Amino acid sequence: MSEMIDIIVDSQSYKVQNGSLLIDLLIKEKIKVPYFCYHESLGADGNCRMCMVEIEGQKRPQIACDTFIKPGMIIRSKGENIEKVRTDILELELINHPVDCPICDQAGECSLQEFYMEYGLHDSKISISEKVKHSKHLDLGSNVMLDQERCVLCARCTRFTDKITYTHELGIIGRGDEAKVTTMPGRKLDNPYAMNVVDLCPVGALTSKDFRFAQRVWFLQTVDSICHGCAKGCNIYIDHNKIKYQDDVIYRFRPRRNDNVNGFFICDAGRLSYKQLQENRLESAILNGEKITQMQAIAKAKELLAKHKENITVVIDANLYTEEIEAILAFAKELNAKVCSPKEVYRDESFKDDMLRSSNRAANYKTIERLNIDTKEPDSSSLILNFNHPQDFEATSVINFLTHNRLSLGLSLPIAAYSENEGTLTNEDGFTQKCEKAIFKNVPIPTIIEHLIRLRR
Amino acid sequence: MSFMFSKENLLKIEELKKRYPNPHALSLPCLWMAQYQEGFISLDAIDAISQIIHMPSMEIYGVATFYTMFRLEPSEKLIVDVCKTLSCKLCGSDEILEHLEKNDTIKLRHVECLGSCSTAPVMQINDVYYENLTIAKVDAILKELK
Amino acid sequence: MRDCKIVSRKFELPNSHTLEVSKAHGGYKTLEKLREHSPLEIIDIIKASNLRGKGGGGAPAGEKWELMPQNSLKPSFLAVNCDESEPGTFKDRQIITKDPHLLIEGILITCYAIRAKHAYIYIRGEYKQFQDILQGAIDEAYEDGLLKECDITVHRGAGAYICGEKSALLESMEGKRGHPRLKPKQKEPEWFFDNPTLVNNVETIATVPFIVQNGADAYRAFGTEQSPGTLLFSMSGHVQKPGVYEAEFGTSMMEYIRHFGGGVKGGKKLKAVIPGGVSCGVLTAEECENLTLDYEALRCMRSSLGTGGMILMDEDTDMVVALKNILEFYHEESCGQCTPCREGTGWSDKLVAKILEKKGTKEDLNKLLEIADTMNGKTICVFAPAASAVIVDFMRKFRDEFEAKL
Repeated sequence: MSEMIDIIVDSQSYKVQNGSLLIDLLIKEKIKVPYFCYHESLGADGNCRMCMVEIEGQKRPQIACDTFIKPGMIIRSKGENIEKVRTDILELELINHPVDCPICDQAGECSLQEFYMEYGLHDSKISISEKVKHSKHLDLGSNVMLDQERCVLCARCTRFTDKITYTHELGIIGRGDEAKVTTMPGRKLDNPYAMNVVDLCPVGALTSKDFRFAQRVWFLQTVDSICHGCAKGCNIYIDHNKIKYQDDVIYRFRPRRNDNVNGFFICDAGRLSYKQLQENRLESAILNGEKITQMQAIAKAKELLAKHKENITVVIDANLYTEEIEAILAFAKELNAKVCSPKEVYRDESFKDDMLRSSNRAANYKTIERLNIDTKEPDSSSLILNFNHPQDFEATSVINFLTHNRLSLGLSLPIAAYSENEGTLTNEDGFTQKCEKAIFKNVPIPTIIEHLIRLRR
Repeated sequence: MSFMFSKENLLKIEELKKRYPNPHALSLPCLWMAQYQEGFISLDAIDAISQIIHMPSMEIYGVATFYTMFRLEPSEKLIVDVCKTLSCKLCGSDEILEHLEKNDTIKLRHVECLGSCSTAPVMQINDVYYENLTIAKVDAILKELK
Repeated sequence: MRDCKIVSRKFELPNSHTLEVSKAHGGYKTLEKLREHSPLEIIDIIKASNLRGKGGGGAPAGEKWELMPQNSLKPSFLAVNCDESEPGTFKDRQIITKDPHLLIEGILITCYAIRAKHAYIYIRGEYKQFQDILQGAIDEAYEDGLLKECDITVHRGAGAYICGEKSALLESMEGKRGHPRLKPKQKEPEWFFDNPTLVNNVETIATVPFIVQNGADAYRAFGTEQSPGTLLFSMSGHVQKPGVYEAEFGTSMMEYIRHFGGGVKGGKKLKAVIPGGVSCGVLTAEECENLTLDYEALRCMRSSLGTGGMILMDEDTDMVVALKNILEFYHEESCGQCTPCREGTGWSDKLVAKILEKKGTKEDLNKLLEIADTMNGKTICVFAPAASAVIVDFMRKFRDEFEAKL
């Protein structure tokens, strides 16, 4: 470990590791410098030349992403000189850019747009006809669309497929102002993490086919959550919005940085899992295929519980929040019921890889283990209470608590999905993480805990 | 249709591999061999090179498009590279270019400095330099090459 | 003018490219005594000679050699830069076709000094004919047993000016796109697949045998104190007898042009000279009047000596057309890595085109200078700063010609 040293940035002193990258300090301390090519997950490439700072003793401005901190450095990130340098470079960056923000999906979360507002605000000095023409609306595959004219050639996407996924689908061809990002002719971007390039792209060159034109980003609200796709527990943002007269809807999942768990990325399966989360929801109680009211359902459930005093089994989904699992355990104890959470159904070796995807597709199985819950299938029971476990089990009577529609006999009560509720999960590496409540439905669906309270009354 | 290096080229590649600390160094030499073998560099050839030197096809494709002398498409016509940079221009390359523009039996390319400034104007056809050009000389050369 | 053929001594001999002729005229003589010196002593001789890199930069060669480790666990390499692509430059081509054995001899000495066992000669792709002559000489040297302890491999480029930049050259040799690398923070060798590597120009290496054979003082007897020795200066453009002629540093430019070049073509008046390849600032005829050909004198003129490849332009030359031609070159050859260069070279080319079409405005001229400013000193390599200086110098010295076209 290198020693900690003092340096000065904009007249303020900072303690920082000798030899570390200046741009990391600036990012950490929220000292604003514009940049396109640098990304903490990909390292420095030094091509965009935007992160210029003044360093005392150096004749010319230097890029922060290629400046290693030395003792006594005095750095200026602000001021007329350096801001002019950035403005000038930004102007060049924009000459071949279509400046089509009104129809661009990146608008509102675009570095180019943001820096333009900060440093540019100049009129375009080149007429449209003179701009270098490239292809637009290229379907790269894996839900990623490319607009080469909006690209600033920062090479984040190509470095992602080279250094992170090692799949090498993307590259830069040609040179000079004819250079462009592309795949091999006739080949697709095809890897389980492909859509991360959309987040990495600082501009509107790479957009998600899934999210394109769905919603302006400034209308979205963002909530911290955890992906439920597997036991890895990747940190995500849930971007949602409730349009007037409509229900609160999730528009996308985005990765949320957590160096202990998922770093900067999530897999595409997890990213797109918001769809299944919202589709085909069980919204009203069902008895033997017929819709009944919540009141009737609770009454029916109580009747079944009264009827079957013995040989009750409670089955728990290993994706439920720890708080829910604990509440169910307490309830089961009152009923003197056996408890299990059969684990075989979660095992999916084909899903596993050496990046983020785990073969164990249950977000909270670690809590099931910790609470010593039986993971074998239930013996024959007279009554089964299934708390959203994906399997159906035979019994004389069955009470299901389900987030999604499912063809099952007996009584089914709808429960809130994880996005409509808050709680904690423990991932396979033992990190306990919190999910915030993101979705507030017009007609809220009760949570498991709420159901349990009613059943006890 | 897949690409195969000729036996002779495969031998050359094996010899070259011994001369570099890493087989990636063979990307340009292999691209050249493929171009000489087929007249252009096909995507199949890029895949074949990728296999031999353990470099991703996409990277080789990026390399092939970076260098102006690599051709990714076959050319039916004779490719004529005329230098258009300053010394040649000062010595009359415009005239040569204008003359050749009219000739639709060739594929004319305006190229940057060929490093033959003292014998300007200059053109290159199939690796051979033709120097101190005049229109008459150009016509005679093209006639002979037909 | 003093005769001083250090590198071009054998150029005029019939079959000078063959081993037989080379040996008959003293070729490979230095190798006999080479082992009397230690590698470090050879480096000291080169340092004492103050041999300066002849590829354009003029950096002291010995200092670069000294950066090479003498006891590396990794293999060391020499990469000889024969990517000669600077417009107006065609000197290395003379060496590899007229005295390739001098280059090979220089390589063997250099490799001995830096403890390299393998040298690569990176040659521009267009030079295939000349590469064949060079390869013929290398084959002869192998047959003669000269290359028992050191291999030489010719590595062919494929059309990219930027690969003459030493780190782009190595990227290219590593099989990649020729993108210059970020500069190291301290003095260190170049790296070829993470192995320490020395990159020197063909002519630099071809000068080494003379220095080792005759001593540093013999080399310093030519040229000036700070720019010792000779250079294969050359002339092209509007000159009576274009070509490559070796002369010592400090020679009067006009005398050189008169003596070797026979003056301006067609007896016209000289208007301007680009002194060392298009990347060096243009000089007016008046500025050339009392100018000497050495690094310091050219620097005083805010230009540079570059490769010593002079391009002469006579009184009838349209300087806006000339600038357009040079900017087309930069536009075409930018690697596209850094924003200011990728976009600046293209935009300035388009602006000058607009001026040539008589559609330009005074604002366009100012814009041109602004772009030049943005391209200067803000990129990974010196390609964009060179383009920047070209714009600034043309517009500073010939502004009236630009304004006349508005």
